[in-house]
Amino acid sequence: MSVNTVMEKIENHPRFMKNITFRHTLPAHPGVYEPIPSFVPHELTELLRKKGIEKLYSHQARSLQEVQRGRDIVVVTPTASGKTLCYNLPVIKTLLENEEARALYLFPTKALAQDQVAELMVWSEELGGHIKTYTYDGDTPGDARKAIRSAGSIVVTNPDMLHSGILPHHTKWMRLFENLRYVVIDELHTYRGVFGSHVANVLRRLHRICQFYGSNPQFICTSATIANPKEHGESLLGRPVTVIDENGAPRGQKEILFYNPPVVNKPLGIRRSSLLEAEAVAHELIAASIPTIVFARSRLDTEVLVTYLRKSFHKLGDTTEKIRAYRGGYLPKQRRQIERDLRDGKVLGVVSTNALELGIDIGTLQAAVLTGYPGTIASTWQQIGRAGRSNEPSIAILVANSSPLNQFMIQNPDYFMDKGAEFARINPNNLYILVSHLKCASFELPFVQGEKFGDVDPEEILEYLAEEMVLRRVDDRWYWMSENYPAVEISLRSASTENFAIIDTTDGQTRVIGEVDRFSAPMLVHEGAIYIHESNQYHIDKLDWERQKAYARQVDVDYYTDANLAVDLKVLDVFEKEDLPHVKRNWGEVMVVAKTHMYKKIKFYTHENIGWGEISLPEQELHTTAYWFSRPTDSGDNLDRDALQSALIGASHLLGNIASLELMCEPSDLGVTAQIRSPFTGEPTVYIYEKYPGGVGFSEKLFEAHNRLLQRALTILTQCPCPSGCPSCVGPVEEVGVKGKENAAWFLRGILDLESNKQAASISTATEKFTRTNRKA
Amino acid sequence: MTTPFGPCYAAEKVFPSEHIHGFWTLQDTRQVTAETLRRLGQDISSTFDLNNTLFLDTETTGLAGGTGTYAFLVGTGRFSDAHFVVKQFLMRDYNEELALLYLLDQELQDIDTIITFNGKTFDLPLLQTRFTISRLDFNGTKNKEHLDLLHMSRKLWRHKLESCSLNSLEENLLGVTRTGDIPGYEIPQRYFQFLQTGQGLLLQDIVEHNVIDVVSMAALLYRIYITTELKPNECDCPWEAEALAQICIGEENQKQALRYLHTALQLCENTEHQVQLLRTTALLYRRMKDYETACKLWRRLLELSNDDIMAYEELAKHYEHRLNDLKAASHATRRALAIAWQTKSPKVPDLEHRLRRIEDKSRRQIAAQ
Repeated sequence: MSVNTVMEKIENHPRFMKNITFRHTLPAHPGVYEPIPSFVPHELTELLRKKGIEKLYSHQARSLQEVQRGRDIVVVTPTASGKTLCYNLPVIKTLLENEEARALYLFPTKALAQDQVAELMVWSEELGGHIKTYTYDGDTPGDARKAIRSAGSIVVTNPDMLHSGILPHHTKWMRLFENLRYVVIDELHTYRGVFGSHVANVLRRLHRICQFYGSNPQFICTSATIANPKEHGESLLGRPVTVIDENGAPRGQKEILFYNPPVVNKPLGIRRSSLLEAEAVAHELIAASIPTIVFARSRLDTEVLVTYLRKSFHKLGDTTEKIRAYRGGYLPKQRRQIERDLRDGKVLGVVSTNALELGIDIGTLQAAVLTGYPGTIASTWQQIGRAGRSNEPSIAILVANSSPLNQFMIQNPDYFMDKGAEFARINPNNLYILVSHLKCASFELPFVQGEKFGDVDPEEILEYLAEEMVLRRVDDRWYWMSENYPAVEISLRSASTENFAIIDTTDGQTRVIGEVDRFSAPMLVHEGAIYIHESNQYHIDKLDWERQKAYARQVDVDYYTDANLAVDLKVLDVFEKEDLPHVKRNWGEVMVVAKTHMYKKIKFYTHENIGWGEISLPEQELHTTAYWFSRPTDSGDNLDRDALQSALIGASHLLGNIASLELMCEPSDLGVTAQIRSPFTGEPTVYIYEKYPGGVGFSEKLFEAHNRLLQRALTILTQCPCPSGCPSCVGPVEEVGVKGKENAAWFLRGILDLESNKQAASISTATEKFTRTNRKA
Repeated sequence: MTTPFGPCYAAEKVFPSEHIHGFWTLQDTRQVTAETLRRLGQDISSTFDLNNTLFLDTETTGLAGGTGTYAFLVGTGRFSDAHFVVKQFLMRDYNEELALLYLLDQELQDIDTIITFNGKTFDLPLLQTRFTISRLDFNGTKNKEHLDLLHMSRKLWRHKLESCSLNSLEENLLGVTRTGDIPGYEIPQRYFQFLQTGQGLLLQDIVEHNVIDVVSMAALLYRIYITTELKPNECDCPWEAEALAQICIGEENQKQALRYLHTALQLCENTEHQVQLLRTTALLYRRMKDYETACKLWRRLLELSNDDIMAYEELAKHYEHRLNDLKAASHATRRALAIAWQTKSPKVPDLEHRLRRIEDKSRRQIAAQ
């Protein structure tokens, strides 16, 4: 069945159509072409012709021209627009002209790297085999590494490996660094927030090493649509870039549908689970033999969805092969197999976390089902773009869940369509991150006085490290004076470097089936947890915290587990504040202590709570930055304690969800907590904190956006049709009480000073600033 | 000492050839030949000459490797006329590294062979990294032959000794005991302490430690040589005899290997080791197609250890294929299978298959009669 027939079927399906809140057709778009530039070597032009490429898309041709001119470029075009040619053409051209030349390719994930190497190998073979392409990552066998170092024309790796495996051993990579002509960075938009801030510093280190070996490579980057490609590219690379953003690739018609699950409990404002609805939607598509990808928001959701889908196709016999899960915790070998099966068409439905959002080549998927709003507009377009390549029509359905963010997006589709993508933000000068990388850089080569690190003059920090006896200053240089290998202690992706291994002990064997990061471990693999892997359920029998191992046993139960996180927060320092009669707001340094106390057992399908258990694991501390505001208790009509509690819970629920919208960051980058009588302010206070040590600048942005943020929160609250609170606004009525909505509204109005409008205008202007000078060290 | 790259501390200690280090004198080492070393798997040309050979050992600011690890002290040892000369180059601070590298490079000028202990994975790559970072046109350790005494020692004594560290070899094989020696893991911190305080005394232990390392390497080379040269009847240690047998097996000299193995069996008092030696010997006889002797050894092995699946399996093969004694073959296979079941050995399916075949065969035989 074709996509068009399915669309017709959907249109004639009243139960389905009833829930469609928005429909948009992206028309088919013809391609814009240009001839292959004459400076491309004949053999490469010939090869392109052999592959059926007589002319280039306009953005591909422009990439070649700009690179030829010596520019560093960022190509911003949608998924499946032939981005790889934008870097492969100039690179291969140069390698054909100069056998000694080298290129370094950086991909955010190993899976993407793997894909690229496969493609480049084919090219190389057809060009006579001179161009040697290798992946260099954690999976590369020891004996192959030596050959890669000296002979690899194109080394394909990821930023993590560059950080911990290549730069600290740069002498072994002398050939690469001496002859490095291009650095290719694919999926530039993924390098944002904490990860991006780290990667910007890794690139500063790369610049230093290249300079040492006398090379000055050009950068060729590609990115999904973001609002600020130029700014982002420049802050990441630390140099000016040329942006190429006119897309010359043709595209097939695409239907975009927003689907809001029906309200099943009007008084409580509860909608039908987005998981169940997404499953139903995906079922229809797969049943019509339309290759479909379903995106889930978490690992857990992925596994639950696969289980549901396989069961729903039960009548067709064993569907284990046809419907597969794909997510981060899988071992590399498993993932490669799934990718192959997708390409070969052995798999008809795949359920994925955002691991597949990036441009892995998985062939012809015709439909994408998004379980919940992915958190950012850029991600949403990426996921939508996974279905449908070039000329075929395709369909993408966003199934909303009950969270305020989802409900905001689905009820305000114009925001989604008009707003364009998010800004990618990084803060390479976050002190934690900067200090970490200055250590790594000092390990790699001593700093010389006056030397810059990106746009930073590192002297002050180097002196500090010398006082700490990590470095030693002799004459005008700082030398590494420690036995440690600093890169090992610094992980680019999360605050902790250590992952927990999950070990299957079923049948007396021991087998590692997956891993989770340290911060997630108390939530996912506490004793008593049901961990789901490849749709099999595992009961965690024992969690060895010290050795970072969780022992699991396969079980078959009708529930899953969900752990609760309790958060305590202490203010350490205030960077900026504003005190008004109706609100005191601040941002500054805080210490967050998180502890997981208990978990719930939740029954499949009905999602009812069927039991709970205690968790006793150590607290986790996080030294970070936060934005917080309080309502002075002497400001008139005070509520009683219970009402205040309900107001705070409601406001936190709302703000936690929409702050990421305001910041255009991942919702998981932020945490929110409230105190009814904060030890610091002495007043009812809401805190929004950053989940990365030291923060990456979100708290400051929230401080600036205070008014807009609270206004929007109030709008969502008043627009929500529920009577007294639901998951889509202040949270379920069981948590906030019957007056939850009213209380939260009172709290927000009070803070916005809406009762006395005369002051409202002054809020945004009269800001008292105590900017700490050393904050931007 | 001053160099074109500034100053660096250098010390020289001259040992007369008659100097006794442990059991032997240093001049004993002069007997070592390239042929012997080659038997231990070292790729070395026949022009090997101790006069152009440098013993080399580094003390470093860490064991992690990578570009931030410095070799702050390099000790070298070289035979010259009637002496063994140990030269040490020390950087008293990071800014003396270039001078140290320069002096080391000078020292390496007319050297053909470098001898280290674990230098293949540690000292030489580290020095190569230092030379590369210096960005000066040093020849350094490039284009030199290299002997790693650790690799040779492992070949000979991996089973005899619990550890093949230099300290363990000194104590167990060279008759060298160190007193008041600084443990290796303390060295980086001690050096950093020196950098911070400038107290030269802090380095004394490290400098002495390094001298002993270099001199012990010379003694160890001799010990390796004489052990490799032992004739089968000269061996007095079953582990060494076995190691020499393995070398002969590698050289396809099975007859000589058997001689060493028989010596090893005579010397061996440890049952576990005896079992292992019997197995090696039996397999070697089998390879030489002397099945009768092999079987004798398998039986002898079973007297010592009656739960050896391989021995029963080998006997079963012999009974079935060569003696055509199916009853005995079946009996031996059943014994093997019983043990395999008990120990959950992966051999179970193989053995079950074998047993079925033997039983089928014997049924057919009975039917034929």
